Amino acid sequence: MKKSSKKIDKNIKKFIIVPIVMCIVMCIFTAAVFYPNISFAVSIGNMFLSDKQVDYSKSYENIFVPTDNNSDTIDASEIEFPSINKQFGEIRIDKRNVYAKLFFGDGSVPLRNGAGVYAGSFIPGYGKTILVAGHNNTYFNGLKNVKKGDVVKVSTSYGNYEYKVTSTKIHNADSKKSYDLKADKENLILYTCYPFDELGLTEKRFFVYADKISGPQIVGLYD
Amino acid sequence: MKKLFSIIISALIVCLSCAGAFAAGINSSESSVLSSMRTPANMKGNSVYVPSSYINQAEAYFNTIDMTSAQAGKINGIISQGRSFLQSTGKSSLKELSASERKTLMGYASSAAAVLNLSAAAGSDAEDIKVISKDGEVIVDDSGNIIKTTGAQQSVAPYVAVSVFAVLLSFAGAGVIYSRKKSFVYEEIK
Repeated sequence: MKKSSKKIDKNIKKFIIVPIVMCIVMCIFTAAVFYPNISFAVSIGNMFLSDKQVDYSKSYENIFVPTDNNSDTIDASEIEFPSINKQFGEIRIDKRNVYAKLFFGDGSVPLRNGAGVYAGSFIPGYGKTILVAGHNNTYFNGLKNVKKGDVVKVSTSYGNYEYKVTSTKIHNADSKKSYDLKADKENLILYTCYPFDELGLTEKRFFVYADKISGPQIVGLYD
Repeated sequence: MKKLFSIIISALIVCLSCAGAFAAGINSSESSVLSSMRTPANMKGNSVYVPSSYINQAEAYFNTIDMTSAQAGKINGIISQGRSFLQSTGKSSLKELSASERKTLMGYASSAAAVLNLSAAAGSDAEDIKVISKDGEVIVDDSGNIIKTTGAQQSVAPYVAVSVFAVLLSFAGAGVIYSRKKSFVYEEIK
């Protein structure tokens, strides 16, 4: 009797307690070793397991026609205002090897084919905030080398614009401090996922802030 | 003569279509709608504003159309009804609204969009708003996130659960093997 209860005790130890203790120890060990890569693994997984439908279409309408217009003003009546998913310009930072087609809207079609202006911000020349998104491993990868004083060039069909970089910052994606959509001064904000070169999704964003230095101001916007 | 006539007609059509495409700027009717959108609703003493991102998107669209004063009148009336509805809920913020109240609010937005021959739809939480024109052109596609996450939602929970299960399973197995080996060695010595 004593012998069989001893055997049961031994089996409990062998098949339950030892594995549980080992599991706990190994979980702690695994978490300590792999913690830096957990977000990376999660983001890669999300690329495959996301239930959101992504439009991978490469087709879009292009209303961009390069112009030499470098005047100080342009009348609103001379501009074809872009609608969502239309390419209406180009953006580049020559010094940092950044070049992208510029779209209105920042959904999957614009971001797959270039950089996208958030539709709740404004187009160049409007005198307000221009918020532009781009992918960190393609079109906006070069933002990692951007320095204060660099010049961002934006070409549209109605004028060519230049913006001087004033600062770069890293914010959480949900931080409302990273932009001001009510600003009454023309300012360009470029952002991309951070860290750079990380595949998949990240929680942080790298922001480049720039102020307008040249380009036609749109006039006659309001009756 | 026939040729000349057709050239004039063609030129007229081109000019008219250009006028439509370049219906640039904000006319007084559109200005009145924007100003109506900027007027806060009073919810239990709190001023509740339409987010500036939505107002900016409306302004961007108004730059591509020419709204008539009749349309503006109708839209302003609907916005005003929406404001009165919010006041009547007795809630102090939009977050406190129930699902049915959010639906009612979205109904006002749909009615306002319909005045411009647009259809508006929203997700169950009245976010993820999409406004589409009659010919299928996307006017607004707003997920509520201003800073984008490149199209996928991030959720750690399923990965943590799967990882923990996998780790538990593999190390439980390792524990069993270890124990068996130990008792085997013990029995051999014995």
